[in-house]
Amino acid sequence: MKKLMALLLVLTMAMSVASAFADDAKVLHFGEINPKVGYDPQTNTNSRATTIEECVVEGLYFWNDQNEEIPVLAKDFPTISEDGLVYTFSLREGVYFSNGTELTSEDVKYTFERMFTPATGALSTYMYNMIAGAKEMLAGEATELSGFEIVDKYTFKITLTQPFSCFTKNLGIVYAAIFPKDACEAAGSDWGIGTLVGTGPYILGEHDNSSVTLNKNPNYWGSEPHFDQIIVTLFDDENTKLLAFENGDLDLCQVPTDLYLQYQGTETANKFHIYYPLGTVFLSLNLSEEFNGEKNPLADVKVREAISMAIDRETLVEFIDNGLGTVATGTVNPAQLGFVQREAYPYDPDGAKALLAEAGYPDGVSFTAQIRSTDQPDMVQIQSDLAAAGIDMKLELVDAATWTSLRNAGNAQCEWMGWFPLYADPDNNIYSYFHSSNAPGKSVFYNNPEFDALMDAARISTDDEERGDLYAQADEIMSRQDYACIPLYYPNYVFAAQDYVTNFTVGNLIYQICYDVDFK
Amino acid sequence: MSRYLLGRVFQAVGVILAISLITFFILNVIPGDPVQLMMGEFATPEAIAQVRAQMGLDQPIYKQYFGWLGNMLRGDFGVSYFQHRPVLDMLLNSFGYTARLAVFAYVLALVFGLVFGILAAVFHNKFLDRLLMTLSIAGVSAPNFWVAIILQIYFGLTLKWFPISGAKAFNYYVLPAVALGTRYAASISRITRTSMLEVTKQDYMRTASAKGVHGWMLVMKHAFRNALIPVVTVAGTDLGNILTGSMLIETVFTIDGIGKLMVDAINQRDLPLVQGGVMYIAVICVVIYLLVDILYAVIDPRIRLGGGAEG
Repeated sequence: MKKLMALLLVLTMAMSVASAFADDAKVLHFGEINPKVGYDPQTNTNSRATTIEECVVEGLYFWNDQNEEIPVLAKDFPTISEDGLVYTFSLREGVYFSNGTELTSEDVKYTFERMFTPATGALSTYMYNMIAGAKEMLAGEATELSGFEIVDKYTFKITLTQPFSCFTKNLGIVYAAIFPKDACEAAGSDWGIGTLVGTGPYILGEHDNSSVTLNKNPNYWGSEPHFDQIIVTLFDDENTKLLAFENGDLDLCQVPTDLYLQYQGTETANKFHIYYPLGTVFLSLNLSEEFNGEKNPLADVKVREAISMAIDRETLVEFIDNGLGTVATGTVNPAQLGFVQREAYPYDPDGAKALLAEAGYPDGVSFTAQIRSTDQPDMVQIQSDLAAAGIDMKLELVDAATWTSLRNAGNAQCEWMGWFPLYADPDNNIYSYFHSSNAPGKSVFYNNPEFDALMDAARISTDDEERGDLYAQADEIMSRQDYACIPLYYPNYVFAAQDYVTNFTVGNLIYQICYDVDFK
Repeated sequence: MSRYLLGRVFQAVGVILAISLITFFILNVIPGDPVQLMMGEFATPEAIAQVRAQMGLDQPIYKQYFGWLGNMLRGDFGVSYFQHRPVLDMLLNSFGYTARLAVFAYVLALVFGLVFGILAAVFHNKFLDRLLMTLSIAGVSAPNFWVAIILQIYFGLTLKWFPISGAKAFNYYVLPAVALGTRYAASISRITRTSMLEVTKQDYMRTASAKGVHGWMLVMKHAFRNALIPVVTVAGTDLGNILTGSMLIETVFTIDGIGKLMVDAINQRDLPLVQGGVMYIAVICVVIYLLVDILYAVIDPRIRLGGGAEG
């Protein structure tokens, strides 16, 4: 009996110590929609997973929430040879991964070689495949990256096959996060699933399909993380996520546009904050001459201009998107390099009809938009606008997988698209979408040598002022003369934050919860 | 009996194989190429072809099927395309959540369904009968995701009695079990009442009554037992439905169960996971129907298994 009492006493004490620790721990509860992918930044590009990955792994550089690039694992920005081909990097010394191994040039080399090994299935190789030897590795013709030279433990050189002014910018995206060679090799296919080790401020703790626990990295090389733990609760339903916020279970979470209005006038709405990410919402059009074996009216620039004229963007933003956006005047976002304040696109249904007649379609045109359920509110409104101008846009509702396949195979005719760059440079979103070398994979088929030449020139130039001019000209041609897409609006993000949450802001697609955010 | 059972087991294996074959072929013809989805929109056709070959998806479809079947019989259901985890592990993990939710919901459905059904039959055409049947109509008609949201708002947000999402402890399952079990409780109560009323008109009930059996003894021993066959049919089907997961309830309450796993897998074209999930559902359904058939004979000795009357 005495033994039992003693055991109970010890247990009680242990529990009270544990609960005291739990009570004192500073924990950020963040609500997120379940990304349903692993957490290997090389094999997924899901922005919701990226938010979590960025707490654990770091790259050579980092784009912060003010859209500034800062050196992280690199000591400084690289020195670049005069021909723009050879980059020399110096690593920050004395940085350790959370498993206790020191970061060296070997880890960086390993990370890039893993990325270009076909079996890895890395998704973002297009951002880094200008490194010499990358294409050979991707083709399975080489197992070593010839353009990567280790100078010493903390210094390495990367040689490119062609000058590329955004190379360092691309290194600031988490897709180029540096992994510890030994741990990553040992984890094998479990990397990003059960195991993820990095130099970041938090260590991946218990995680499953319901939540992810991130524990403070006590040996973090940078300034001390603000929280002992970040617990990311994963939801499948936006409504439930907001109920959890209202219930006080969450400190911070994103608010979807369609639920924003529902909360207006409530106390919760006072905790909503609006942010301006870098993206643009547009109608993506297939410009090929034929579609499904028939003449494609969208190949005619006058038809595309008529579509633009027929859409009432003000109404779309105000009533369908609850005012959460700014009417677009081009595809480059106001916060991006190369943005020029232009006049609004005219809204003129009669003018649209006249343009159609001029294009040889006096009785109007007909085409089909392939849409997902989430695209429906905007697209139904646009359909009604277009109908008033004699343009029959049929809506074909498909599931997300079918939609992606149709689009990638070049078999989509028109889609609603929200396209966000990862940093404030149009190379990351305009080049990747509209340059003729990329356009077919998006069912776009835009091919204007003048536009391509401007985009290519901007890739080589290292002068940001000149690059801004080149992008402004390219956007003018693409969005205002060729109507290669129909820009609609620059969307907003809304987040709900409890009153005691401070220093949270959103600069680009990926929101950061592990650096500045704190409690009052 | 044993011959009948053996026959039914062979039949069940045949059904499962047929389902696996049909699912495999359907999954291979629906739009949405999994390799393209995995590789993203910047992948070159060469890279896509390379990965397709690595995954064996360039093989003729019959070879893929027999390869998958052979592996499955050895307990290897493959690896999820998107979560890169063994499918069997994922199914077992989700089964844990679904099974817990199912047990709570089913116990609730059986207890309330049978009690309400019996009470309604006993108090036929009285106030209690009308009240319970009105409630049961509401229970059958109300969409369970709506019930779920109402429960979340009232018992979670307003009264703060129960957590509104997750599955960390017993109390997390209360609201989802009520939301999921309501409809089944309602349908079981209706079928119990109807069946009981049918039985009470039988001659043997009058005989029992004339012999002096009265009250709850008459109801439970003579009426309820004989009214059980249709109840078992409905309750058995309901158990199959509950155990194969409720996507809506699991989604609303963020429970990582089989239903949600399957829907996500279908949306992502995660073919090994869908195929594994369909196998799980097929096995559960086949086993439950088999058990229901056997239970018929236990409850009603007039039904003799193997006599051609098993239906």
